[in-house]
Amino acid sequence: MIARSVLAGLFALMLGVSPVSAQEKVPVVATFSILADFVKNVGGDRVAVSTLVQPNGDAHVYQPSPADAKTVADAKIVFMNGLGLEGWLDRLIKASGTKGAVVIGTKGIKPQEMKDEDGGHGKEHAREHKLDPHAWQSIANVKIYTANIRDALIAADPGGRKIYEENAADYLKRLTVLEKEVKEAVAKIAPAKRRVITTHDAFGYFAKAYGIEFIAPQGVSTETEASAKDVAKIIRQIKAQKIPAVFMENISDPRLMQQIAKETGAKVGGTVYSDSLSDEKGPASTYIDMMRHNIRQFSAALTS
Amino acid sequence: MTAALEFKNLTLGYDRHPAVHHLNGKVAEGALLAVVGPNGAGKSTLLKGIVGALDPLTGEIDRNGAKKETIAYLPQLAEIDRSFPIDVYDLVAMGLWHSAGLFGGIGRAQKRNIEQAISTVGLDGFENRSIGTLSGGQMQRALFARLLLQDARLILLDEPFAALDENTIADLSALIARWHGERRTIITVLHDLDLVRSRFPESLLLAREAVAWGKTNEVLTADNLAKAKRMCEVFHPDAPVCEAAA
Amino acid sequence: MYDYLISPFIEFEFMRRALVGAFALALGGAPVGVFLMLRRMSLTGDAMAHAILPGAAVGFLFAGLNLFAMTAGGIVAGVTVAVGAGLIARSTGMKEDASLAAFYLVSLALGVLIVSLRGSNIDLLHVLFGTVLALDDATLLLLAAIATISLLALALIWRPLVLECVDPNFLRSVSRSGAPTHLVFLALMVLNLVGGFHALGTLLAVGIMMLPAAAARFWVKELTAMIVLAIVLAILSGYLGLLLSYHSGAAAGPAIILVAGILYAGSVLFGPVGGLKRHFIPVRHLEA
Repeated sequence: MIARSVLAGLFALMLGVSPVSAQEKVPVVATFSILADFVKNVGGDRVAVSTLVQPNGDAHVYQPSPADAKTVADAKIVFMNGLGLEGWLDRLIKASGTKGAVVIGTKGIKPQEMKDEDGGHGKEHAREHKLDPHAWQSIANVKIYTANIRDALIAADPGGRKIYEENAADYLKRLTVLEKEVKEAVAKIAPAKRRVITTHDAFGYFAKAYGIEFIAPQGVSTETEASAKDVAKIIRQIKAQKIPAVFMENISDPRLMQQIAKETGAKVGGTVYSDSLSDEKGPASTYIDMMRHNIRQFSAALTS
Repeated sequence: MTAALEFKNLTLGYDRHPAVHHLNGKVAEGALLAVVGPNGAGKSTLLKGIVGALDPLTGEIDRNGAKKETIAYLPQLAEIDRSFPIDVYDLVAMGLWHSAGLFGGIGRAQKRNIEQAISTVGLDGFENRSIGTLSGGQMQRALFARLLLQDARLILLDEPFAALDENTIADLSALIARWHGERRTIITVLHDLDLVRSRFPESLLLAREAVAWGKTNEVLTADNLAKAKRMCEVFHPDAPVCEAAA
Repeated sequence: MYDYLISPFIEFEFMRRALVGAFALALGGAPVGVFLMLRRMSLTGDAMAHAILPGAAVGFLFAGLNLFAMTAGGIVAGVTVAVGAGLIARSTGMKEDASLAAFYLVSLALGVLIVSLRGSNIDLLHVLFGTVLALDDATLLLLAAIATISLLALALIWRPLVLECVDPNFLRSVSRSGAPTHLVFLALMVLNLVGGFHALGTLLAVGIMMLPAAAARFWVKELTAMIVLAIVLAILSGYLGLLLSYHSGAAAGPAIILVAGILYAGSVLFGPVGGLKRHFIPVRHLEA
């Protein structure tokens, strides 16, 4: 009898000591790693974030697994980017039957269009211009993402209101510091040298916000194949304008990049991250680290 | 006279059912033997066994040490891909496999042999025709030309004259006679008994078991033929295990 | 005219490399394609594109996104599937096409399983396949080696291969080289396909193999002529296709295959051997 009450007492002690006993973490899903990072920063310990497209994955062509459907079904909030990034998400949400709220991170952001590949703004085209989904490349936009995330978390978990507001405010401060760093770094690059080639047309917002011109041999997503005309155009441009560097991003075939670099004598810069974070051991495991890493790579290649 | 082939208690078949049942006998060298019998009598099966395409269920075939290169076999339905883009010349030239092998060049002498073979079978002028354009008779002639070039000591023909016109049959029979003159051993499966009586001195009447084997006019009697006809053509689904197999 | 046809290749190194790459693929792939077509194995190329997945996946498991490891793994998987299917077809009652279908489907499933073990749903096949516009030295060397090996091997097994196609029973009765010949041919096919995938992508590799071969069928009746013509048509497709991609901005691989397809369509319509034109333009027959 004594043993039983001791056991019961120990049990109660354990429950009391355990930090998460009072309430469960809010289960949320973020579609890809960058978005997940934002959510983690605002949600802190109160949320359990599951990420669908892992680091080094490709959100444009992701194929969800049955495990993903379960994760989405159990989630209270599904955070997505929007602007056409996750073409596969609608079906997944329907298939999972989730009752969670679907929150679009880019709500309220002024979207840009994809750069017209033919370079002619004056041309009349019958085809519609696609929206550029990579809004997170501008830190100012990320501040809007943060606010959207904070509001969504508060709506789903009102008890955590104070924590979410504090976390968000703190993150916004850090983003402001980051923004200053990036702008200063760009200022150090000679204006004539502020152009770069990458494999993935994902830096449109970065280009507009910080003044570096990005030229890409392929279309937006990794699915479209290059044409000889495009590649020739890039090579001519690099040669004519003496563009100093080409960059490879962590998703597509590096061989095309190397061929262009070889033929033009441009420098091959380090890897930059555009659509996803690196894994934990890599140099871009959080959004802030990612932006810092990228700008350092650009600076290194363009200021030598 | 040495035996080119000896069948020792030979049973050949499919799925344990015998198609040739306990065959014993010798084929002398230089023989011109016709194998006849009703449908399902095991005639094609016997040829397949001789050429080695089928293993005996029991018993054996003693080929007196004959090597693969010395046996030529013309199956009943040649599974030739007629749509393949080669011409008659190339098809006939295949007969030189054993002398030319994988890479051996085909010298002038051999080229003459090929042309001669084509001529012998009456296909002059057809050298460059695609095999897809040949009639049944022309194809059979081409295959005989190939056989000619194989220069085999033992020649096995399975129903070589099925569906051929009289001219072709006459020409090809003459070729068989020539081979017989060259002391080659020839075993031919045939249905046309008149042809057998006129050109084949020796016959084996097969109805799974040997009904009669010897001189043609002694084998192809009305009695023997009736006996062969009576013997069962169908595989018995519930046949017991053969006691004589031991 | 010069500007249109020649200068892109003078001006740009990547264009020259692409042409050389297409040329190498034509030399090795077109002859194999002719035999595939004649043996009614024309859809094998697509099956193989899926069959190589587990090999690439194992390579991926061990070495990450290392193209060399994945290609090597792909070749091993491809040869295993092709040879395995071939052996089964020869020694049992199963026909070649069904045998291959069985093998490649299992192989594909295995590959997807292995990839999912690593956690990410990365589209390996997407990563594995290259583009004709990005042929580095190693890749060009690979293509050249494959072309050389293919031509030499074909010369070696020419006789038994032709016999195997035309009259396999005859070959079996005179020689034991039927099975090894067939297997060597399958290995050549895998080599050309996987090398082609690695360098140029699935569409281009299979397309350059099969379309020129199919087109050549309508012009000549004899095997050697067919092979030579197939090679010529393949090279022509590469050259014109690259020009098309250059001048119009169409994606390079599809442009080349499009040209090959147009050549094929022209052959179907106007080819003297079994083409459609004899329905429209009657030809007078000979006296004998």
